[in-house]
Amino acid sequence: MAKTKAKKLTGRKRDERIAAYFFVAPAVILLIAFLVVPMIYTVYFSGFKYQIMRPDAMKFIGIENYIELFQDKNFWQALKNTVYFTVIVVPVQCALALGLALLVSKKFRGVAVFRTMYFSPQLTSMVVISVLWSVLYNANPNTGLFNSILTSLGLDPISFLNDEHTAMNSIIFMSAWQGAGYQMMIFLAGLQGIPRDQYEAASVDGATKFKQFLYITLPGLKGTIKYVIMITMIQAMKLFTQPYIMTQGGPKNSTKTLVYYIYSEGFQRGNFGYACSIAAVFFVIVVCMSMAMKKITTSTD
Amino acid sequence: MKKAISMAMAVTVALSTAATTVPVMADDPVELTIWSPTDTEAIEAWWEEKIAEWNEANPDIQVSREAIDRSDSYAYDNKIATAVTSNDLPDIFYVDGPQVSYYAANGITVPLDDYFSEEDLSDFVDSAVAQNTYDGSLYAIGATESSVAFYYNKDYLKECGVDVDDLDSRTVDNPITWSEFAEIAEKCTTDDYVGAHIIMDHGEGLPYALEPMYISAGKDYISEDGTTADGYVNSEEAVETTAYLADMIAKGYANVEPITDEFLNGACATMLGGSWEIATLTANADFDWGVTYYPVNDDTKEAVSPCGDWAAAISKDCENVDAAGQFLQWLMNTENVATYAAAIAKPATRTSAYDEEVMADYQEGNLALIKAQLENTAVPRPRTPSYAVFSSAYAEAMTNIFSDAASTGEVDNDYIQSELDTVSDTFTDDYETYYAE
Repeated sequence: MAKTKAKKLTGRKRDERIAAYFFVAPAVILLIAFLVVPMIYTVYFSGFKYQIMRPDAMKFIGIENYIELFQDKNFWQALKNTVYFTVIVVPVQCALALGLALLVSKKFRGVAVFRTMYFSPQLTSMVVISVLWSVLYNANPNTGLFNSILTSLGLDPISFLNDEHTAMNSIIFMSAWQGAGYQMMIFLAGLQGIPRDQYEAASVDGATKFKQFLYITLPGLKGTIKYVIMITMIQAMKLFTQPYIMTQGGPKNSTKTLVYYIYSEGFQRGNFGYACSIAAVFFVIVVCMSMAMKKITTSTD
Repeated sequence: MKKAISMAMAVTVALSTAATTVPVMADDPVELTIWSPTDTEAIEAWWEEKIAEWNEANPDIQVSREAIDRSDSYAYDNKIATAVTSNDLPDIFYVDGPQVSYYAANGITVPLDDYFSEEDLSDFVDSAVAQNTYDGSLYAIGATESSVAFYYNKDYLKECGVDVDDLDSRTVDNPITWSEFAEIAEKCTTDDYVGAHIIMDHGEGLPYALEPMYISAGKDYISEDGTTADGYVNSEEAVETTAYLADMIAKGYANVEPITDEFLNGACATMLGGSWEIATLTANADFDWGVTYYPVNDDTKEAVSPCGDWAAAISKDCENVDAAGQFLQWLMNTENVATYAAAIAKPATRTSAYDEEVMADYQEGNLALIKAQLENTAVPRPRTPSYAVFSSAYAEAMTNIFSDAASTGEVDNDYIQSELDTVSDTFTDDYETYYAE
């Protein structure tokens, strides 16, 4: 009797295990098909001289693409632009998101309206937002809102998107505005996880609002902040839509990002093998940055 | 485990029976798929009507069309590139004129010489045949052409003291010159207006609309045989031509970021605009406007105008090239060319199409001017497999040059030279890597 029972249990365990495999199968299959396989192909193609129109005339050239890549000043420029964008946009966007979250975490009449308002840029396609903002940024005061305001204040108009000194900053400002709503929602959830009684105790002890923020809110949000910084950083590294629509990587390559460079080499110029080598290096950079970030944030614990 | 195996077997059995029970007919009709850019309602309706007409008359060759979103000037070509990689090319696809050489050189399209005799082609305007020919063979055939001309807002020009009657009276032998163009632009630039519109878009529109300036100054972008850019796009003549254009931006005569329909919206006094603008302006403009021939260089006075439009090509993956060829012969007959050209408001490629009633408008006035440019001054864009690379490199360089001019208010010839050198290097690099013998 006991024997058969044990046998039954293992049979059930086995069934459970099979069921588990079935449950994870869709995710695993999709990940393999759309992430792992393309990644392997990317590395594979990066070893070839490959004109996109001529898959039949592919020629193996070893690491030549990589040698060329490290001597390519456009690549270094694109890397510099991407890092600049990330380094500026991450703190700006996270601070903005946290500020907004603090504002709308209070319960008052109509707070839902503000939450919706701040979140709404997230619901609009980035392409649409980019088109709209290129009109707002237009150099001609008769067209561009910002320049029309500047000239009405008696200031000179600025070629926001047509000057290599201002183009990337204009994209950063607009991206932070667009992206902050999403992080705000995450911060909001984080804020709700901080017990109210801590604030009550602090105010009984006479702590100012600022001190409460510094010693209760920030430590309470530690996990959320790490998460938000990490996803914002990875997203920022992948910047493409805004320069593609607003500046086409210009002027003078000042808004050409790594992903834009991959696109323009691979599709516009048809250097598919070379584009794959940039993509492979880009992947390594993002992984390294994420790991470094993780290290930094865990060591502060 | 057993269950899983039997399940898999059941699926296999079900699939194999499904495959074998499909009836195999001896004379299945040939099916052809066409890709062309999504277009206005009139053109979409034209396609529907024509394909229905063909399918009814030819039960053995059934045609269907997929409208592909063109979105920006390079997106459609990206779609073709992806289809090549994944072996998903349709039987017939439309390509923009200057891309014909690129696809032909890479073996993506097949020659159409068997379906269009020299006699057939003699009815087409020379520029259209030239643009679609690569290495001595015809690789694409189109129904429409295009041109660019000089548009002016008569009401506003009169206010600014420009002799509008003089502009109206110009002929193909006596077009306005660059200095006259600049003078008009200067006179008409005020707080509310810019004098000119010279940036069609930030992609193919730049090399397309501006090429005649370069040819008129003495040097085309690329050598006649399509192999060399060095000494052409970066020549002294090209630098001077570019400087002339950049000067318009630097002085504020033209916007560096023009809005859509800038001329129609009354924000600029004149424009270098496509022939298709005539239809838009006729339907929508609330001011009096005119159009005259493309401006010429002051010294050479050589009249040149842009041309080229989308054309149909047969892909390498087409299994029934004969059927596709037959369909194209029919699609490009005089009546179809005339109705298509009328619907899309572009000049026709076939001269006989102009005798059809739908094209009666081309006998006089603004449209006759476009026809005259096509017949007398049209020069196709460079026929080189590296055109796509050239086009994006040139567009990028011009955007840099114009941006520089706009932000500094000055024209820097050394900078122009360095940017055009980059264009030449990019072209040479691509040509030598993939096409040079």
